[in-house]
Amino acid sequence: MRQRNPLPGICGRVCTHPCEDACNLGENDSPVAICWLKRFVADYELTHPDSKPERIPQTRKEKVAIVGAGPAGLAAANDLVRRGFSVTVFEALSTPGGMLVAGIPAYRLPRDIVATEIDAIRHLGVDIKTDTPISGDKAIDRLFKDGFKAVFLAIGAHQGKKLGVPGEDKYEGVIDCITFLKEVNLDRARKPGDKVIVIGGGSSAVDSARTALRLGSEEVYIVYRRSRKEMPAHEAEIVEAEREGVQLHYLAAPVKILGKAGKVTGMECQKMKLGKPDESGRRRPVPIAGSEYVIDADTIITAISQGPDLTFLSDDQGIELSRWQTFAADEQSMATSRPGVFAGGDAVTGPSTVIDAIAAGHVAAASIVRYLDGEALVQPEVHGEPVESEIKVDRKQRDHAPRAVMPMLAVSSRISTFEEVDLGYDEAQAVAEAQRCLRCGPCSECFVCVPDCDKITTILASPDGSREVILRLPSDIQLPDLAEGSAAVQVGAKKKTELAVVPVMPWVKQALCRGCGDCTKVCDYEAVTLIPKENDVFVASVNPDICRGCGTCVAACSTGAMVTGFYNGDWLTGRLSNLDPQKRSVVVFACHWNGSHLDNDALQNLQHNGTRLEIIHTMCSGRISPGFVFEALESGAAGVLITGCSSGECHYDFGAEHAQQMYSSLEQLVHMIGFEPQRVRYEQIPEGDAGKFIGAVKDFVENLDEVMSKRSAVQPETVS
Amino acid sequence: MLDVIEIEDRVRRTNAYACLECGKCTSVCPVSRYGRDYSPRMLLNRTIRKDFESLFQDYDLWSCLTCKKCDDVCLAGIQYVELTQLLRSTALEEGFDGKCSHAGALQSLSRIMTSDDLHQNRLEWVTDELETATEGDTLYFVGCAPYFDVFFSDLNLSTLEAAESSIRILNKLGITPVLLADERCCGHDLLWSGDIENFKRLGKHNLEEIKKTGAQTILFSCAECFSTFKSLYPQHGMEIKAELKHMSQFLAEKMSSGELELESVDTAITYQDPCRLGRHLGIYNEPRQVLQNASPQENGAPLREMQQTGKRSLCCGVSAWLNCDVTSKAIQTERLRQAHATGADVLAVACPKCQIHLTCTMKDQVVNDKYGLKIRDISSITLERLVDN
Repeated sequence: MRQRNPLPGICGRVCTHPCEDACNLGENDSPVAICWLKRFVADYELTHPDSKPERIPQTRKEKVAIVGAGPAGLAAANDLVRRGFSVTVFEALSTPGGMLVAGIPAYRLPRDIVATEIDAIRHLGVDIKTDTPISGDKAIDRLFKDGFKAVFLAIGAHQGKKLGVPGEDKYEGVIDCITFLKEVNLDRARKPGDKVIVIGGGSSAVDSARTALRLGSEEVYIVYRRSRKEMPAHEAEIVEAEREGVQLHYLAAPVKILGKAGKVTGMECQKMKLGKPDESGRRRPVPIAGSEYVIDADTIITAISQGPDLTFLSDDQGIELSRWQTFAADEQSMATSRPGVFAGGDAVTGPSTVIDAIAAGHVAAASIVRYLDGEALVQPEVHGEPVESEIKVDRKQRDHAPRAVMPMLAVSSRISTFEEVDLGYDEAQAVAEAQRCLRCGPCSECFVCVPDCDKITTILASPDGSREVILRLPSDIQLPDLAEGSAAVQVGAKKKTELAVVPVMPWVKQALCRGCGDCTKVCDYEAVTLIPKENDVFVASVNPDICRGCGTCVAACSTGAMVTGFYNGDWLTGRLSNLDPQKRSVVVFACHWNGSHLDNDALQNLQHNGTRLEIIHTMCSGRISPGFVFEALESGAAGVLITGCSSGECHYDFGAEHAQQMYSSLEQLVHMIGFEPQRVRYEQIPEGDAGKFIGAVKDFVENLDEVMSKRSAVQPETVS
Repeated sequence: MLDVIEIEDRVRRTNAYACLECGKCTSVCPVSRYGRDYSPRMLLNRTIRKDFESLFQDYDLWSCLTCKKCDDVCLAGIQYVELTQLLRSTALEEGFDGKCSHAGALQSLSRIMTSDDLHQNRLEWVTDELETATEGDTLYFVGCAPYFDVFFSDLNLSTLEAAESSIRILNKLGITPVLLADERCCGHDLLWSGDIENFKRLGKHNLEEIKKTGAQTILFSCAECFSTFKSLYPQHGMEIKAELKHMSQFLAEKMSSGELELESVDTAITYQDPCRLGRHLGIYNEPRQVLQNASPQENGAPLREMQQTGKRSLCCGVSAWLNCDVTSKAIQTERLRQAHATGADVLAVACPKCQIHLTCTMKDQVVNDKYGLKIRDISSITLERLVDN
């Protein structure tokens, strides 16, 4: 979990969990509590400490500077240190965490959780320097001068914006929410006033209001110019704020701050109605003339948006800004106008969510690696795009438990403390909640569900005799090479609620089938049989209820009569067209079930050894035919590595055996054509063992390097 | 965009515009006869109508076996097989290609063999008992049999047996044949798949290698390699000075001169004319002379001829590894039926492709039970019956 998201305990508490919006269970029921389950796992780690993360050895000489120890900076640091770089994070505040500690109150995010997760990143070897603002003349120049080869600006958005109404600067008692929260969280907690108005509708507004209540303010109002529906703060937070006693004034906008003797006495508001949607898609509030009214208050907290604090940046640093006074960074690479300087998170987007900041950190880290490797910053996605899908789930037929309720502190006992409100699931609750999952992904197209439940999937006959399956699919599969073969991408949206999948199960093109029976010989499930067509002419037939889709019969078929919708010849040719003949490439046919090839981080490291890896998923190593291997070699691959499970671990029981057989004749052909044996290899790898997979690839590439360097040294032999 | 005028011009050379639409081509075509709705006449018609775009995408374009039966009967002298080749190579240029069996592995191997930097180990089957040389008068062109035997190991056949037998016979005659360590695929299948460029590369390479050996005579067991050297190389500007002989021709010669004497064994033999040897090159007699010598004389007909024989012979069902399908199977089954009907125990072949395709058909247990018989190469049959063997 920490590999991709270094802050699971934090996200498990404060994330806006867009993943839950995509959960299929959410269509007619509450989605699985993915966020809280993540928290449970992170908390479980705290109470069951197994082993401290080990320091990652530094394998790269380049130093990277990250400015800001918020979620964007920490995520980038985590990625970069795992890639072997020396990473230094400069943090202006005395505590690392950025808005996690300065903005979000402790009752939502206890400080020990933040400290633990940041410590884990430190343990990997990241140097976090607190109380070290980057400021002064030529701040960026100096970082480069100090030997940093790349800089990531992740300074967040800590500068509150002005309301722009009369009286704002005239009276004491007007404070912006960030200043307020920062003081409470990091310095001293004191009551802001007895009657407090918070202006704004985002998380910071709600946090400020609930914090003020906890500090003893008697009346706390939130004034928001649109309706509740448009409030950017998460619904659950608004509900809790109301339960705690915060009073909400919707469709009201500040007109002027009122005061007497230099101190705030209240605010004049004007009622609004909603007009046409603006650029953000939300309906624009329009003032209602003559609707002005006054709320008495001694303190006004403005929470109407923030921007990055750019006072440290002088014009000569060559970093362009957007018209919103944020860093202008390329959307795909996070690169700024100055080479080697990247920016991301709130400092680019303005105030956003923790998970968006973490995502920006990932992108920036990937770009920094490419920048330091001298590669193009923007490269084709390694991950497939998450598939947006609306999937019909007929839950009437199924009996699901309701979503486990999050235990909470009673309002009476939380209102005066900063104790965490959400108490977290216990183990039984977490297990029960996790069991609500429909397990809709990742789908291996085994179709075991088809005979069991015709409510979930519907089978339609398609004209070519294949079976097109309407299937629910996960929206969150994140496997490498998703774009090429896995179910999610083979999917075409039929309607909003239906997706069509070409089954991985083969079907028979009768015109090509010679009835030789090769397919029946390789299928231990007896899913393929020969059936009589006419006068002693037989044709192969696949029983879809027994077939498990390994594709071994497809590999065995001489004529191409046995076909699959993917993992087929066209698909392979498409994949091989990526090979760059100018660069040494290795094609790895990797068994999808074996899964040992799914560690992205480690793989990315491998790709920088001068050899390009084209990792091609196959359903099973038994699906590989000599034709695939020769096509890869012919397309310019210097080597072909086939990885799969051992016989004992093969999900199809016999796929490994067939791969082995195929390989033994392949070896002979490779030898005969004069290719060094190092160019084609078949390796059985323990299931999911990324280390072994990477070891096998490394070993293969090293052996290949040796052969290829010899090869280029030898002139073509002349045979007498 | 297709250059229709350019294609038309090339088509004109095949005499296609002389078509009388008599339909004789379709009536003799084995694909039409034993298979599906396939019509050479209609394909010709579509060619004349310049319906190229749809032709190039049509499975039928790659179904022609190039067996040349149609050419033989055409009153207008249209070179239909030539036209097929022309359309295929044009289609390939335009980005359309045929459907290769075996996931294209055999075509891949042929194309890999075009590389200048290749160090094959294709002669490891040559045992110490076989006397071979790297230079000399007589060269034996092995063909791709070493690859076939590995690739088709599940068929339990040995196409290399023909090479071994040929070399043994040559050795007995005091000839030490040259074998090429760097022999390449002759390119036959690539040419008929439309890939002229790689075909030429292979041809050039083979001719250069042969030149270095000083060979004056080149012998072939494979009818396809033989026809490639004999007519396709020269057609594509690659001239060969050496004398080219199919093993059946060589054996027949040596039998007439008395250098080889066979004793007949009590096994009835029938013979499959390879299209390349028969209709493409007109060689019908020599294989029969050899086999007559090897057949029992006392039981009436020395060599049992099939219902369709000589010029009317039926193809082995697949050419250039293209479009192997139900039709191929039907043609092959019919051919095996004809062979079986002669009462012969052995089907003699003069081409490894006939051997592979007809053996493959016998994988079908029903076919095997009904028509199964031994398939042997002509040289292997000869070696077995050599008087002083």
